[in-house]
Amino acid sequence: MFLDCKFLVSIFLSTGLGLRMTGAELLIELLAKHGVKDVFGYPGGAIMPIYDALYGAPVKHYLTRHEQAAGFSAIGYTRSTGKLGVCFATSGPGATNLVTAIADAMMDSIPLLAITGQVPTAAIGSDAFQEVDVLGVSLAITKHSYLVERAEDLAEILQEAIHVATSGRPGPVLVDIPKDIQLAQVNFKPWLAAEDYQPTVDLNEVAKANVLLQKAKMPVAYVGGGVHAADAQDKLMAFLNETSMPAVSTLKALGSVVPEYEYDLGMLGMHGGQAANFAVQECDLLICIGARFDDRVTGNLSKFASNAKIIHLDIDAAEVGKRKPVEASLIADLHDSLPLLTHPETDSAWLQHVKEMMVKHAWRYDYPGEKVFAPYLLNKLSRTMPSNGVVCCDVGQHQMWVAQHMKFNSPRNHLSSGGAGTMGFGLPAAIGVQVARPDDFVITVSGDGSIMMNIQELATIRRNNLPVKILVIDNQRLGMVRQWQQMFFEERYSETILSDNPDFVALAAVFGIKGQTITKASEVDDAVQALVDSKGPYILHACIDEQENVWPLVPPGAANDQMVTKVKK
Amino acid sequence: MKHQLKVEVKNQSVAVERFLRVVRHRGFSLLQLQLEAVDEKYFVNMTVDSDRPIHLLTLQLAKLIDVYQVELLELQHQQAI
Repeated sequence: MFLDCKFLVSIFLSTGLGLRMTGAELLIELLAKHGVKDVFGYPGGAIMPIYDALYGAPVKHYLTRHEQAAGFSAIGYTRSTGKLGVCFATSGPGATNLVTAIADAMMDSIPLLAITGQVPTAAIGSDAFQEVDVLGVSLAITKHSYLVERAEDLAEILQEAIHVATSGRPGPVLVDIPKDIQLAQVNFKPWLAAEDYQPTVDLNEVAKANVLLQKAKMPVAYVGGGVHAADAQDKLMAFLNETSMPAVSTLKALGSVVPEYEYDLGMLGMHGGQAANFAVQECDLLICIGARFDDRVTGNLSKFASNAKIIHLDIDAAEVGKRKPVEASLIADLHDSLPLLTHPETDSAWLQHVKEMMVKHAWRYDYPGEKVFAPYLLNKLSRTMPSNGVVCCDVGQHQMWVAQHMKFNSPRNHLSSGGAGTMGFGLPAAIGVQVARPDDFVITVSGDGSIMMNIQELATIRRNNLPVKILVIDNQRLGMVRQWQQMFFEERYSETILSDNPDFVALAAVFGIKGQTITKASEVDDAVQALVDSKGPYILHACIDEQENVWPLVPPGAANDQMVTKVKK
Repeated sequence: MKHQLKVEVKNQSVAVERFLRVVRHRGFSLLQLQLEAVDEKYFVNMTVDSDRPIHLLTLQLAKLIDVYQVELLELQHQQAI
């Protein structure tokens, strides 16, 4: 979102921004002029002038019941639309409650603007009531952060903050505004950005990459969240359709490769599909498109795609060669770099081999038991819900089952806390999505552990009459940790048994949310249909076997072709 | 191995704090630090030590908003930035 002078002058002339106003009023005006229609937050003492400026303003505020949830709702809002997500919190504990959501946005490169109130300038450093050094706290979890020290700097800082959050590799930006500056009379001052740094593709690297592409017999495209960040799905699909190259996706990339693509191998990595992992291990060329060789993707790094030469496309130079040496690197916006790759046809023998692996290792849903089989349930949901519906996951076994068994036609429709792996992400993220996309089907898929992390947000659903759907997959365990305890900690189930869970349907009913509990496989089809057909918010509580595990699994330290598919006795 | 870096940073106390945090977090220990404020910039000379390749630090520093320039002055062992 680059602000040119013409745009700024038009703001200046066509609005009240040329007039003196309070700092708080200026913030709200600027957000409105940047097209921000909705913000999420929680008021408190040091941010009261901003909440006063919100009163009757064109920017609609959604009161969450915890600041962390405000952060996640703003993340859901931006990830599902591409619009800037904004959250507000007061000083001290309000701001520190935002920390997890901001860190989540940092790990997943999400453009988030966090506005925090701060104690008055004169009180900073005096250990005042609800004073925390939020600028200091922010250093490790933001792309950039500001403490506004002079009222006359406010307008420029806010504009720069929006620009930083949304440009280059996106990320969260925090602006800490002391109360006296919120109350001070200020003038709008256009911020004239220095010429924006846009990395230009090195043509020598392009030539090297294209030679590698021509020589490759067994190439694989390794697709990451950068495709979503760059909004470059069309460029990706143009490249794939021209080459017919097999494609694997990271958790965050799911939806970037459209489900109809013939050689979509799905997710790779620790819980990736077998065909995806085998293809990467066998390939002779890996084209990394906006991904970062995360440890959950690579398994044992020295054994990851060890036969392959690597081409890396990324806007962030610091990601290239960070974990894996590469033969060619195209450091630029994917919109600019992807079209520079040539489109050699992929070797037919390789494609035939990949096809055979896809058939051999296809997911199976013919579960013999009478209990609810989560992969079948999620696959059924995927086939039943509207194609433009949005799934917001929490973190754990259910998250991996969603990644394995549901299909998405856009990365904006699959929101999962990737880098940070934050339990409690799903419900508030879904609220943010539903606010941004009121006419779309929005569901959070959660577990009985994760849902309790931000369960207070049922109140936000009720307050705003949001038709958010909730699927709780309940194994009365912290399932993923339990699975690891079973496999790697001699079945010592330390603090993972949740047999004292509340009655989730009764709990939701307190907030006016209807729903039902199912325990049998025979109930799944009708229950999913009832969930999808429900008009308002709805909870489906699905009880599954507590011993159910996520397969395949690459054990820690193993190579990705050493997948385990059952517990060894 | 040791490396000497020259860094130009915005003249704000938090900018120094921010890049020093990155030095530590990316696995480099600080051996020497000299800092001089000239107008709107801090000119920083520092020596760092790590087993990790120096490009893992220089590229992270270079992308900080407050950092204008990162220059590697001395390379004890042959490594590309």
